[in-house]
Amino acid sequence: VGKKVQAIYLWWHKPVIDKELLQSLPNLKVIANSGVGMDHLDLKLVASFGVKMANAPHAVSSSTADTGMALLLASARRLVEAHNISISPSMEYCEADILGVKVAGATLGIIGMGSIGYKIALRAKAFEMNILYHNRTRRKVQEEQAVGATYCKKIDSLLQQADFVMLVVSLTPQTHKLIGKRELELMKPTATLINISRGAVVDQEALVAALQTGVIQAAALDVTSPEPLPRDHPLLKLKNVILTPHLGIKTDKATYMITEEAVENILAALSGLPLPSEVLPS
Amino acid sequence: MWYHQPAINEELLQSLPNLKIVVSSGVGIDHLDLKLLFSYGVKVSNTPFIVSTDTADMGMALLLASSRRIVEGHQMAVSPDTEYFPADWLGVEVSGATLGIVGMGAIGYKVAARAKAFEMKILYHNRNQRKKEEESAVGAVYCKKIDDLLQQSDFVLLAVNLTPQTHRLIGKRELELMKPTATLINISRGLVVDQDALVEALQNKVINAAALDVTYPEPLPRDHPLLKLKNVIITPHIGSATKKTRRIMMEEMAESIEACLAGLPVPREVL
Repeated sequence: VGKKVQAIYLWWHKPVIDKELLQSLPNLKVIANSGVGMDHLDLKLVASFGVKMANAPHAVSSSTADTGMALLLASARRLVEAHNISISPSMEYCEADILGVKVAGATLGIIGMGSIGYKIALRAKAFEMNILYHNRTRRKVQEEQAVGATYCKKIDSLLQQADFVMLVVSLTPQTHKLIGKRELELMKPTATLINISRGAVVDQEALVAALQTGVIQAAALDVTSPEPLPRDHPLLKLKNVILTPHLGIKTDKATYMITEEAVENILAALSGLPLPSEVLPS
Repeated sequence: MWYHQPAINEELLQSLPNLKIVVSSGVGIDHLDLKLLFSYGVKVSNTPFIVSTDTADMGMALLLASSRRIVEGHQMAVSPDTEYFPADWLGVEVSGATLGIVGMGAIGYKVAARAKAFEMKILYHNRNQRKKEEESAVGAVYCKKIDDLLQQSDFVLLAVNLTPQTHRLIGKRELELMKPTATLINISRGLVVDQDALVEALQNKVINAAALDVTYPEPLPRDHPLLKLKNVIITPHIGSATKKTRRIMMEEMAESIEACLAGLPVPREVL
């Protein structure tokens, strides 16, 4: 059976691609990933077996940006808490107690202004937010103006000014633990951290400490390390934390588009044609 | 007047002969008997414009939370029984979907402006059609008949005020016109919806889901079926509940009272 396999479509990081698997599939030509993140793959290892790799960059950006905005709004308006109170068996609630944070006029700091980050900026602009961004490289002036985004060359400047900090970077050795104790302490005590990138971009222990001691106000995390978290993890118990199970791209439409992108890449690889979204080891 | 308390009736008005003004928090005045109040020579004011942005934000928050199953997702993420996240757990895509706004006043219009940034197709139904420039600015298409809006929308958002005309605007007939994949979002008043018909529609999958910031009554009795449905998000009428907006509402109410007592024109007077 191993000899028949020419392509793998990776769904939700399965199967795990290791040396053993690659050796058992001598005719494997291509691995197509469902999604844009490739941090779960050893790119050099795969390439060393002469296997091409592709991701699905175009299908994910809108859905992931929507998830980011959904978490920002849910956190700002304390939606999960409010729902739980509304349906709780006890009648002890008073509407006046559940006050949230006004989003209009607040400052959103986007860390990572790739296609997903940019789509978030477009959405946030419609909510009348002030937008700061930090990125490896500065975007073109017209792109900045279209979303009213101000570049922060130093991440510190963004962290100090933002009411909402949204992480939209890909996970690389440079972004690993990008947000640690130092960065959290630079943030406003009234600020919210939203993570839709990868759990490992945040020093999770530092985050727990920061949330417990009021160094920052709240967090909304679609990604953690690991996923799911152990059931006794402190993040599960904090009132000011919204956790979602890596929803990023999980919609009917996005799933369909991702699969289409993957199939395109697989067919191209099997026909010896250039792949539409090939990923090379850097 | 805060969250409709105290209830203004004839008895109360008779016991307060020197009452000059009732200032009501928020924009809705459906809980006030204006004829009765005016017959006692009492003025009425509200806080209409300041609530628009936060209420529109709440509408979008509910739309996004419902479509992407944020509440359910959080429950799964923190549940003691969760061992892994299922790979086939999906929500509904917002970007590019069709949003039908019923009631295109200040709040409805702000919802449209926000939805546009999500590349949503926007339909709206209103007593009157908006100006062409206003429509173009948000890419909204007018539906003279509410049926057209209901049949085409993936998300139906109610942003009307409660009047005899909008009472039970959405009933069994309207729910059946909606797509079975559609979501109903209510940020107006509970009574705009025939609540029993809504429960049935949700239970029988006539529509897909609902997200309600308002119900009738508020709060619902603890044994109400809406509290138990997995595909329903309920929030306790927090449309305008942000610190900044509440502060401004208080300031506006105080301002209206001071003006009235000084014999000056009352800001935000309801006539």
